[in-house]
Amino acid sequence: MKKERLVVIGGDAAGMSAASQARRRKPEMEIIAFEKSPHTSYSA
Amino acid sequence: MARTPEAFKKNQDIDAYVRHEVTEIDLSDRRVRVENLDTGKEWWEPFDQLMVATGAVALRPPIENIDAEGIYGITTLKSGMIFKGVVDREKPRRGVVIGGGYIGLEMAEAMLMRGMEVSLVEMAPEVMGTLDPDIGAIVSQSLIDHKVDLYREEALTGIEVKNGKVTAVITENRVLPADIVVLGTGVRPNSDLAKAAGIPVGVRDGIIVNERQQTEIEGVWSAGDCVQTHHLISKKPFYVALGTVANKQGMVAGINIGGDDAVFPGAIGTAITKFMETEISRTGLSQKEIEDLGWEFITGKVKTRNKPGYYPGAAEITVKIHAEKGSGKLLGGQIVGKQESGKRIDTIATCLHAGFTVEQMVFLDLSYAPPFSPVWDPVAVAARKAVKEI
Repeated sequence: MKKERLVVIGGDAAGMSAASQARRRKPEMEIIAFEKSPHTSYSA
Repeated sequence: MARTPEAFKKNQDIDAYVRHEVTEIDLSDRRVRVENLDTGKEWWEPFDQLMVATGAVALRPPIENIDAEGIYGITTLKSGMIFKGVVDREKPRRGVVIGGGYIGLEMAEAMLMRGMEVSLVEMAPEVMGTLDPDIGAIVSQSLIDHKVDLYREEALTGIEVKNGKVTAVITENRVLPADIVVLGTGVRPNSDLAKAAGIPVGVRDGIIVNERQQTEIEGVWSAGDCVQTHHLISKKPFYVALGTVANKQGMVAGINIGGDDAVFPGAIGTAITKFMETEISRTGLSQKEIEDLGWEFITGKVKTRNKPGYYPGAAEITVKIHAEKGSGKLLGGQIVGKQESGKRIDTIATCLHAGFTVEQMVFLDLSYAPPFSPVWDPVAVAARKAVKEI
């Protein structure tokens, strides 16, 4: 079966908090995040 | 500190790519177009669920040469690092800040600490527009005390440039020579991508979300500085760009994406900052926001000390609160004071969440010992003043 896939646009506080919480609940989910700046999660 | 893509991969099996920009959302085929900013390569990435967390962008005044070299908007870690690099390397002498809000004050402080001459241009009668003018005036005075050349009620009208680099800022009344310029002129939701895809937006173009942080499109979620938020006191949608709200909303979205059920109840705009030794904080509705709602209100304001007067280190503090006329229900509060004043705003914020009246605030069982507080905490004193007005 194809894995469920989450795409996150924006890798700072809101985006990476969401990605982390989704991961805890769905270990099988594919999670991929795109951030246009050179840094992730600097205000989280 | 920043968490790296490597840490996200290792600890949580999340593939995070930096310097990758999503340039389009295709809702009908449920995919996004991605560009690798280093290679220029583009491709489509499919999704079942989409989290839009595009944040905010700095507002740039619509003035010629606003993009000249030497003019900086500080919105990301990267832009802050670039600014610091330029200051350390080029040792500019004269800095001009446009706008006296959170970013403007912090950047003014940073430049003063490096021994620069700092001017600040503010359009409104006082700095810190999220405060009432009489409270903002205390902050303005603090800037002046620290030798910032403060120009209030002056609009930016032009930028002078030589060889593509800024040399001066022009206002209605003067020309301010500048080696470096910081824009503290506010932000707007970075919702262009979502709007172009047909995701509905509301206040100031903030993306509309329900209390589970889902947009009006099934399986498309949003949180943080790009969304409009429910205000717990006005009961209306509003826009606020705060990391505290972004973290909570992101958490709520992630729990729901994960198949559980969480709700973000709303926000009251609690925020804190400092300029040199002056701490500045606010929560709930300001006087202007209450007036705009057409509500009748009362005010309690006190200027006192944040420890007993005999105690070393007792410092000046001003607390102001607003409450509904008749019921006495708390609507908002503001604090400006020296060290160990600002975090008292959390007492007021908690009372706002609880729906307390100013009478209830008077009898709050708050902590007291001389090293920390007067026997009547300044917040309770402001509440007592307000009670008299009911």
